[in-house]
Amino acid sequence: MPLTLERPDGVDAAIAALLSAPDAVPIAGGTDLLLDLEAGRVRSEHLVSLAGLPWARVERTGEGWSIGSTAPLRRVERSEGLAADHPGFVEAVRSVGSAALRHRATLGGNLGRASPASDLLPILLALDADVTLVGPAGPRRAKLDELLRGSRDLALGRGELIEGVALPPRAPSAYAWQRVRPANDISQVGVAIARPPGADRWAVALGGVLPRPCRVPAAEEALTAPTPSEEEVRRAARIASTAARFASDRRATAEYRRRLVDVLLRRALARASGGARP
Amino acid sequence: MTRPDAAGKLRGAVTFGTDLERPGMLWGALVPSPAAAGRLRAVDLGPARRTPGVVAAIGAEELRQLLPSALGRERPLFPVEEVAYRGQPVAAVAASTRAAARAAARAARVTIEERRPVADVEDRYPEWPGPGAASDPGVIAHVRAGHGNVASAFARATLVHSETYRTSGVCQVALEPHACVAEVSDGVWRVTSSTQTPFGVRDDTAEILGLPAETIVVDGTWVGGGFGGKGAAFLEPYALALARASGRPVELALSYREEFRLGRSTLAAVIRLDTAVIDRTIVGRRVRLLLDTGSSLPGRDFATGYSIGFLVGPYRCGAVEVEGFGVRTNKPPFGPHRAPFAPQCVFALESHLDGLARRLGVDPLEFRLAHVWREGDETFLGQKVGPFGGERALRAAAERARAWRPSVAEGHGLGAALGFWSTGTGAGGEVRLRLDGRALRLEQVEREIGSGSVIAGLTAVAARATGLPARLVRLVASDTATAPVDSGVFGSRTVAALGRAIVQANEKLLATLARRAGGGPVRLEEGADGIDVVGPAGRRPVAELLTPEERDGGGLVAEGRHYGNAPPIDPSRVEDGTFYPYTDFTASVDLAEVEVDPETGSVRVVRAAAFQDVGAVISEPLVRAQVEGGFVMGLGEALTEETLWSPDATLLNPSLLDYRIPTLLDVPPLEITLLEGAPGAGPFGAKGVGEPPILAVPAAVANAVADATGRRVRDLPLTPERVSRALIRP
Amino acid sequence: MSADPGPLEVNGRPVERASIPDDERLLDTLRWRLGLKGTKEGCRSGDCGACTVLLAGETVLSCLALTRDLPALPVTTIEGIEEDPVAIAVREAFTAEAALQCGYCTPGFVVATVGLLKELGPDVGVDRLREELAGNLCRCTGYAAIDRAIRRLARGGP
Ligand SMILES: Cc1cc2nc3c(=O)[nH]c(=O)nc-3n(C[C@H](O)[C@H](O)[C@H](O)COP(=O)(O)OP(=O)(O)OC[C@H]3O[C@@H](n4cnc5c(N)ncnc54)[C@H](O)[C@@H]3O)c2cc1C
Ligand code: FES
Ligand code: FES
Repeated sequence: MPLTLERPDGVDAAIAALLSAPDAVPIAGGTDLLLDLEAGRVRSEHLVSLAGLPWARVERTGEGWSIGSTAPLRRVERSEGLAADHPGFVEAVRSVGSAALRHRATLGGNLGRASPASDLLPILLALDADVTLVGPAGPRRAKLDELLRGSRDLALGRGELIEGVALPPRAPSAYAWQRVRPANDISQVGVAIARPPGADRWAVALGGVLPRPCRVPAAEEALTAPTPSEEEVRRAARIASTAARFASDRRATAEYRRRLVDVLLRRALARASGGARP
Repeated sequence: MTRPDAAGKLRGAVTFGTDLERPGMLWGALVPSPAAAGRLRAVDLGPARRTPGVVAAIGAEELRQLLPSALGRERPLFPVEEVAYRGQPVAAVAASTRAAARAAARAARVTIEERRPVADVEDRYPEWPGPGAASDPGVIAHVRAGHGNVASAFARATLVHSETYRTSGVCQVALEPHACVAEVSDGVWRVTSSTQTPFGVRDDTAEILGLPAETIVVDGTWVGGGFGGKGAAFLEPYALALARASGRPVELALSYREEFRLGRSTLAAVIRLDTAVIDRTIVGRRVRLLLDTGSSLPGRDFATGYSIGFLVGPYRCGAVEVEGFGVRTNKPPFGPHRAPFAPQCVFALESHLDGLARRLGVDPLEFRLAHVWREGDETFLGQKVGPFGGERALRAAAERARAWRPSVAEGHGLGAALGFWSTGTGAGGEVRLRLDGRALRLEQVEREIGSGSVIAGLTAVAARATGLPARLVRLVASDTATAPVDSGVFGSRTVAALGRAIVQANEKLLATLARRAGGGPVRLEEGADGIDVVGPAGRRPVAELLTPEERDGGGLVAEGRHYGNAPPIDPSRVEDGTFYPYTDFTASVDLAEVEVDPETGSVRVVRAAAFQDVGAVISEPLVRAQVEGGFVMGLGEALTEETLWSPDATLLNPSLLDYRIPTLLDVPPLEITLLEGAPGAGPFGAKGVGEPPILAVPAAVANAVADATGRRVRDLPLTPERVSRALIRP
Repeated sequence: MSADPGPLEVNGRPVERASIPDDERLLDTLRWRLGLKGTKEGCRSGDCGACTVLLAGETVLSCLALTRDLPALPVTTIEGIEEDPVAIAVREAFTAEAALQCGYCTPGFVVATVGLLKELGPDVGVDRLREELAGNLCRCTGYAAIDRAIRRLARGGP
């Protein structure tokens, strides 16, 4: 059966279209979905385009920053003021694919796919981002950490869509990653850190771990000082490198990933807290 | 220099294989074997035939009716009993759209009684193969040769340096996937293909389809990169069979995934090197090679016997004994790749020598200089070494290394390596020159693959040989039915071998003109109104010297040919297998400075210098471009490129995301030095330079990493993880 | 097939989308429906940049976009920048440095360079431009000549 593409021009119509077929899936930039369909990782004959939805905005709000789910990543990274407020987030966005890819690829698509190797999930977890959603029962708001169920598994209701992501006004942050080839490659490990306003410690989140990117509370406990000491950083790095489940796959062994977490956490902290690099 | 093809290519206006189109054309697709090994039980093409848009579907069963000669015992177009690798085409379909063809290929049901595949040479031989292994069914090639008393050399040695190296498979990765379009009518089987070897494709296709070569006509088109991957027949026989079955033209193009999965390329190897030294002099070398040759057929392996010499290298090393096994695994057949498997051999040998020199407390470059071939030396197979630029290149590199050393930062390292290559000038070829009053036409079969060797190289030779300005030389490429025979654009041979043929054709042309002009010697010159012949009898327009037939037929014709001959191998040194003589002796030295991240193992090459033995420069921009491109391809083989296979012989990284060729950000500034003075077999003493620049790069980088860290990585490529593992090794 | 999304403008000409299948990629529409074969197919999976075209002036990968999903914005291919002054400058720089060999990556590189120079302005530094072009792969040149061409084009500091 050939694919069909619906192009609803509003949120309600999009939700209705998603409910109209059991296998309907939303398509934003399509940069992941088209490949997943081709490879049989996603099976669907009903695509619902999000191109007509009014969610492509990136703006500063009373609460902080609001990033629309259908905003192309390129627009996100080039938003005036965002890099100053959220340096780690913009570093992570710029690390995704190529410029031409980011002109189409969206934040919602990256979240929607929920890949364990995503470069955006760790920093959003560290920033404790809220995700705004809209579904048949109306809008709701949830912590990313709660939505992220597992590898490629986001806890969305049937017909529910990601509307956007809400970030605090500003937070010192950094994202450090390691790849075999610096550009055009998938990260073996990503380490994000952030200190949202009012937080009493540095938040630490890891990518490239199983089953999905995660926070490491045990490591965070060692990082209460705004500029942690060398000893504290070392301890946190040691904890982080043993806290998660690391995969062994074609990109890296678990052993190497573990070592990278230790290194990258120290580097990210040095960058974000202005502290010495142990 | 402005490349003659720049304007067209910068507008996307040239036709590559993937752009070919014919009226009424169908699209082909291949049905892949779902298993890597096993007995083929059934190929049910019913569901494929029922896919909308499908016009033809053929497997071995259908071929029995349609073209039984294509089911020859040795190389049947589709496997009849056993499948040899995952993805091997077991059937093919043609449909009105590409999407329909692919859907139909997916719909076909292939039943295989699976067997456990052999995925790795070390699956077959966890221990070194014992005596008698040469006749194992899993060994498709065995070579053994040597001279001198190796046992005694090792017994007398004051030091023996023994190491094992492992190298990974690498792919050519021409950006254009394979593609061709086939048409069959009136008994002519015609295929237009983006190929490096039109005549090679013709002969190979004839053999596979069991047809007389004259019934097959191959035409080339612009080639979107070759690097060895676009020689021999590959898609063409399938496309022709589909065209025959459907009665329509058929375009067959691979997806990039298939490009990796079906690719005939360099596979993995295990290399053992033992070197015996007395004081500071090498007195003996033992080489052991286990080369993964995939599903190559016995008798068709070229790599084992050719490459093993690169593990002895361009050095005097006393008594030598080499033994190599081409080992069968369930992967696609081993295939040519820019200097096939040589960079991997050079990596092993030059790492080995570097480490040995350090153990001896000798400067690694001085150590090489003490042993490097001089003209007149003998190879281990008893060939006389011709003019060789190795010493010159090493000296130039040593001087540069001394200049760089003081500015090499903490945590950085400097490494150098020497690679040796023999160009494929032995492979023969012919050209036709056709001179009329206005222009010189250079008629031949080859198409441009990117290096410029055809469109710019051959015309430069013709211009230099005839003395005419390049703009009066017209390159004419035609198909195998009309062009003179040639063996292809590969092996760095094009300018060298066809260039010699051009020089010879020009001599014949001038001899004829001299006779007609009342005596020689004569030469050609641009005159007031076209081309003139100038000689003792004065100046006359060419047009006046042509016969009426020549005037009607397009001009005076002279053909030139070049079939190289190499200094012979001493047969008494060969115990088993096929070795190939070297036709000329080309050196390439690289010097690299690296920065190693001590915690992650990431290696960055911060600057590099290449010293290339070129014999004589014919076109400097073209030579430099080959060095630049070859260096970066070598950089990929050094740091990031490898095919990864699962234990069940599935390729795990068949994409340009996971098979990592260098990007614009990975490339260091490169200084290039071209060294003339050691002439080669090409015209005016030129040597081929398509392949040599890649040879020494992995080794130079590995030696620089060893210099920076004190640790040697013996597995290629040097990915961050491998380097990091070496760094924490106790 | 869903409702007609209206025409797409390709190189200044309207292209009806009514009869185009929903699952057709822009790359295939350009090459096989419109005969604009200057846009090349390499990986077909977003990894090589050979298929780069401009959508409203911005670089996009035509292999990863559905033709009927695109907003009604102008699409420009290598054939559509013949007269464009920035493209002329890019072609001149590539010609002067012989920044091509087989030419298969070349249209993608030219289109991407033109798009990025326009997006980021003429004062974009060399380092930035190089970084932004890292998604375009070339196997032949080793990028050295391309890098020299970029240096001619990118003014301003890093
Ligand atoms: C060549 C290449 C390189 C890449 N490199 C990186 C990298 O370095 N780092 C990295 O993190 N990622 C990388 N990616 C993945 C990249 O993040 C995604 O391609 C992109 O962000 C997905 O966005 P999209 O709009 O194209 O998503 P789509 O492909 O349109 O959608 C992806 C998934 O999300 C769902 N979805 C989309 N929007 C919504 C929504 N609003 N609500 C609910 N579900 C939704 C879709 O149904 C689909 O399942 C790469 C991809 C490619 C092809
Ligand atoms: S063909 Fe589109 S990125 Fe390679
Ligand atoms: S010129 Fe061949 S890929 Fe770039």
